[in-house]
Amino acid sequence: MDTETEKIVRNRVAELLNEDVEAFVVFVRKETEPRERITVIKGPEEAEKVALSPLSVNNTARVLLEVVNNFDGKVGVVAKGCDSKAIKGLISEGKIEREKIHIIGISCPGIVDYRKLIAFSPEDVIFEDGKLIIKPGDKEIPLEEVIHDNCRYCRSPSPVIYDEIYGKAREPFDGTDDDEIEKLPADERWKYWIDVFEKCIRCYACRSACPMCYCTECLVDPVNLAISPMSTAEEKAAYPRFLGKTVTPADNLFYHLIRVFHHAGRCADCGECERACPMDIPLRKLERKLQKEIKEIFGYEDEDIPFLAKLDIIPEGR
Amino acid sequence: MEDFEPKILVFACNWCSYAGADLAGTSRLQYAPNVRIVRVMCSGMVNPAMILYAFRKGFDGVVVAGCHPGDCHYNVGNYYAKKRIVLLKEMLDFIGFESDRLKLLWASAAEGKKFAEEMTNFTERIRKLGPQTKFRG
Repeated sequence: MDTETEKIVRNRVAELLNEDVEAFVVFVRKETEPRERITVIKGPEEAEKVALSPLSVNNTARVLLEVVNNFDGKVGVVAKGCDSKAIKGLISEGKIEREKIHIIGISCPGIVDYRKLIAFSPEDVIFEDGKLIIKPGDKEIPLEEVIHDNCRYCRSPSPVIYDEIYGKAREPFDGTDDDEIEKLPADERWKYWIDVFEKCIRCYACRSACPMCYCTECLVDPVNLAISPMSTAEEKAAYPRFLGKTVTPADNLFYHLIRVFHHAGRCADCGECERACPMDIPLRKLERKLQKEIKEIFGYEDEDIPFLAKLDIIPEGR
Repeated sequence: MEDFEPKILVFACNWCSYAGADLAGTSRLQYAPNVRIVRVMCSGMVNPAMILYAFRKGFDGVVVAGCHPGDCHYNVGNYYAKKRIVLLKEMLDFIGFESDRLKLLWASAAEGKKFAEEMTNFTERIRKLGPQTKFRG
């Protein structure tokens, strides 16, 4: 994702917008600070704004899902490895039609964790072969120093689904995620997670940012169902309320367990939940653990059938 | 601790396990009175959130009882149940919660005796584990 790739992508976006693509979900650089945001552009004249760098951190699949049905024609999208995984998941779950989108795949060298970058108080950042040059001062730092933790565990830096592909990918992470938490005794594990989730304020930013959390009604949303003697059993059953407004650590853990469970075999590994979290909670650890178990027990990894729809016969004794 | 009586919630499927529990009752088999049974239409409808909710409300153990593999009234419901419970147990272990407090049980309508025995054994196991305080809110 160097300036070279950025130029190619910018040209391709302009070309495609001149052809049959109606709108494009792209990254643009913010004017006030060295950060990028996702936006939707509709004309080739807007294409010069398109940016692409390790600051293109967010997942475009989320925005694509929100806007794709607002357009009759094709919608283009710039997708990194994890974004394309999310898009693939959404296609296999019938949320997006493959014919309606044009994917420019970007092989990704890893993205910057803005919380680490901010320590250098940058006014502008330039990227050149694996390094960041911070302005003012022209200080050079390697990307590995400020890379997002999640990218270290990235198993598919290259897109899994695309119409055209550019850029150079980092080495995919291969091997088991040997989490030090697993080695702790049970009581200490519990203490660790309670300490971690004590911080959670249940703002549900992890849910809002997640490209795979698209349910219109969520299990943990408050429901204003007035229960009267006339309420039928069906009415009450349709609105189960598992979690109240209490923010005790155990309740937070409950919420996060359920949230992770709903992503069983679907998680795109983009780390958007961790980035969105205002309290810096290592949410991806739970997801990675679940993913590992799914691979170990069911042998499921990135298949075309959604994991939850697949019928597995698990041998007795597990 | 001595007068600790575990509370156990059983989600029993309508077609096999509930009938099995019923058979245990009509055959006048003795089993632990700590067990509360909730009848569900299929073990496949037991949402992991329902299990965690039971723990949160203070149950010491939860059993999900369904038909034997291949016998499900809805053909495959119990396979889905197993898939979920196996994963949930792994995750509960990972966060440091005793996954032994959760049990998946296959019991057919003819297995009243087995149901009664399993319930007694499970109650004893939970009694050894002690009260569940981790999720209790």
